[in-house]
Amino acid sequence: MSPHPTYLLDRARLADSHTLKVARENGAYAAFEKILNDKPDPKEVTEVVKTSGLRGRGGAGFPTGLKWSFMPDASKDSRPRYMAVNADESEPGTCKDRVLLREDPHGLLEGCLIAGYAMGLDAVYIYVRGEYRLPYRRMQDAIDEARAAGLIGKNILGKGFDLEIHMHQGAGAYICGEETGLMESLEGKRGHPRPKPPFPAGFGLWGKPTTVNNVESIFNVPFIMTHGAAWFRGFGTEKSPGNFLCGISGHVAKPGVYEVPLGITAREILEQYAGGVWKGRKLKGWFPGGSSTGIVPADLIDTPMDHDSIKGIGSMFGTGAMIMLDETACVVRASEVLARFYDHESCGQCSQCREGTQWLNQIFHRIENGQGTMADVDLLESLSRGMTPGKTICALSDAAAIPTLAVIKHFRDEIVEHIHKGCCPLKGGSGRAPAADRTEVHA
Amino acid sequence: MTKIILNGREVEADPKKPLIAACHANDAEVPHYCYHAGLTPVGSCRMCQVEVKQGEMPPRVVAACRTPVAEGMIVDTESPKAHETRRECLEFLLKNHPLDCPICDKAGECMLQDFTFDEGQAAARTDEPRRKLEKRKDLGDVIVLDQERCILCSRCVRFFDEVTGKMQLVIADRGAHSVVETFADRPLTGNYQGNVADLCPVGALTLKPFRFKARVWNLFKKASTCGECSRGCSITTEVLRGDEVKRFRPRYNADVNTWWMCDTGRFAFEHPNRADRLAGGQRRGYADSELISTEEALDQLADALGEHRAPVVIASPFLTVEEGAELLELCKQLGSEARFLSPAPNELGDEILHTGDPCPNRRGLTELGFAPVEAAEALELLAASKAALLVGERIGELVGTEGLAGLPTSLQLYVFDTNACLAPAAQLSIGVPDHTERLGTWVNVDGHRGKISAARSAPAGVRPLTSSLQTLRASIAGAEVTA
Repeated sequence: MSPHPTYLLDRARLADSHTLKVARENGAYAAFEKILNDKPDPKEVTEVVKTSGLRGRGGAGFPTGLKWSFMPDASKDSRPRYMAVNADESEPGTCKDRVLLREDPHGLLEGCLIAGYAMGLDAVYIYVRGEYRLPYRRMQDAIDEARAAGLIGKNILGKGFDLEIHMHQGAGAYICGEETGLMESLEGKRGHPRPKPPFPAGFGLWGKPTTVNNVESIFNVPFIMTHGAAWFRGFGTEKSPGNFLCGISGHVAKPGVYEVPLGITAREILEQYAGGVWKGRKLKGWFPGGSSTGIVPADLIDTPMDHDSIKGIGSMFGTGAMIMLDETACVVRASEVLARFYDHESCGQCSQCREGTQWLNQIFHRIENGQGTMADVDLLESLSRGMTPGKTICALSDAAAIPTLAVIKHFRDEIVEHIHKGCCPLKGGSGRAPAADRTEVHA
Repeated sequence: MTKIILNGREVEADPKKPLIAACHANDAEVPHYCYHAGLTPVGSCRMCQVEVKQGEMPPRVVAACRTPVAEGMIVDTESPKAHETRRECLEFLLKNHPLDCPICDKAGECMLQDFTFDEGQAAARTDEPRRKLEKRKDLGDVIVLDQERCILCSRCVRFFDEVTGKMQLVIADRGAHSVVETFADRPLTGNYQGNVADLCPVGALTLKPFRFKARVWNLFKKASTCGECSRGCSITTEVLRGDEVKRFRPRYNADVNTWWMCDTGRFAFEHPNRADRLAGGQRRGYADSELISTEEALDQLADALGEHRAPVVIASPFLTVEEGAELLELCKQLGSEARFLSPAPNELGDEILHTGDPCPNRRGLTELGFAPVEAAEALELLAASKAALLVGERIGELVGTEGLAGLPTSLQLYVFDTNACLAPAAQLSIGVPDHTERLGTWVNVDGHRGKISAARSAPAGVRPLTSSLQTLRASIAGAEVTA
């Protein structure tokens, strides 16, 4: 079916793939059992992940093996150590981890067990987004099944290896997907991100060494262990190897989650997988990797989908969740929806983010309702520059500011036209709201 | 110590403290709101941005309160980028601020005003409706909260959690809807609530007793020591127009109270502001009392004391070391035993600051050789004697005006007091300054010598006690020589 070789979703396509029986019959836990039998030096396992070049699939694209190697040496640091699996998939447009949690929970558990072996973990916490009811249940059932089969807990498979895996259900806050906010939330506190340093590897959950990894990153690990780093490097590009799960949504004929190699062009995903822009319309712009990555115009659709190429066009690969906007979509309206999201989700610690997200939302709301002024575009740009980069504890402020800067960079004329007409230019001049009560903002 | 380059100068920095502490210790001002040296830094206001260059990395702007110092770090607190970042931060902080400075008690000592003056832009770029929140939320007997002015620095939240050990305030809700609240709207409790008004960098938390009472720039401030217990917290006495004491506020002292003080001490201006102050001397006449000058009263007192052998002498617990030394000399001259009134311990003692012992100079007076007597014991001594001298601030009230009134009329009683409480037995009262009007030293429970100082002048005609006692001793000595 797929024009490119796949491995991530092969098992997930089978009937009852979420059960231990089906999963095991189809290769799950084989890599882990081999490790338990061979008992390699845990550092070698980390080294394989490092060599594979696997980059984190949670958005930042940080090399997973390198992150693992930041965990302090167990011989010098006897504190308990933890891993938190970030399954708080809340980025607008991103829906890839849901598929893995729901359809192949044992694949993730195997990844956790291997990570546990490599880093000498005491416990793994899987933090699942609050709204993911079925994925949570599937994941919990998988843990129960695996525990009953002696795959989780003390003396796993009689090989003297211990690892606990716990589940935690979020309560619907986007900010808890930020790694330090996630740890605070796991500790039972409000999901307020912590300033770094100290970094999680030294001072994480309950002040203990912790690594936080995305679901898809961990899910890749058993395949790398089974087939080797060189095999993994056969997929994708040199700097971004492997396949990734692309969740494509928006104005496309067949939105969904597709497994594609990194480096494939955005056009191929759009046309070969997602059936092209819907209703035979033309593409206007697209978000490469979720709502926090800046929008790029349609003419950049031939850009390869990998971390460096997307960075090259001034955006970010993010979670690889493409959001497509067709020619009838209003960028002001889209920006307003996003600004409202970040306003709603800001935790409120940092001044720039707390006030800035609200301010951006208010301005976009005014423009959308025909009450914008010409000064607003520059104000949006200037405020966004005040919110980024790295001026706040976490990246939520940047996540709100970057798409704003991008939409101004690529669609300034449309925003100006919107303000000028006092309504959406795409709706034939009959805007959403009368401009009668528009107030002038002092320049 | 770690060496860093701060604004082109090599300075030593404490590696256990964040960069901002090193900047402040070396006279480089870094604007900040959430950071307070007495609380855990959280790095949330993002105001303390400074430019830092480490190793080969390009310089970057960082929040100084959450940046550890590192050897050789090059810090520029005045770089254009740092200023620009701070200006941006202020613009965000002011976006929803009500700007009601004209009626704000914090105006004049508000960090938002000060840093906006230093860094901010003159023009506001927002016309959006500002947040409408509770303007006067009653948080109990001490504090009123204005949620609109709050910039959510969380200092108050951390104070209760970290200093008093009982978390009473929280930041509720999220993002731009965040507000400071108490759990379930319960009033604040405890003897340390007032500190959050000092901590609050803006006018969100104000003291009920100080609300709308004075403009802070009209207050004359003088460093002094609190007299409410034997801790002797370092404070500033703040007096409005040379007259009324409006505030006592804690003053940093690493050896005594750090940044804090209790509410008992903070609001102890009832006594300094009493109307019944004794100005000059007061003599008991046949029909009523009669006012005379301090000098005349001292003359008469010298004559009267010359007639008695070893009168009972009881000093006020507020006596300073200097006054105590002077009184001790007088005691020797009169052949009297030196005693000081020691009120019973109260129930206010705690683990934080308050010792529960209401004698600010117990240690100082004891070390001089004064013996403590409780009020009941003092009254017994007085009842059994022919003549007695009570000396010092509030002594009549502390011995007990009722008890004094019940003393036999045969007792010849002479009093140096701040207040007119002429007991029926008292022949003569002479006014003395209170502890906001005089200089001196109190020795606290741990032996720390706390200076008290005059934040205002004593009522006209009142002489310092030391000078009165010197005159008295000279007169008595002169009379003995002539005799």
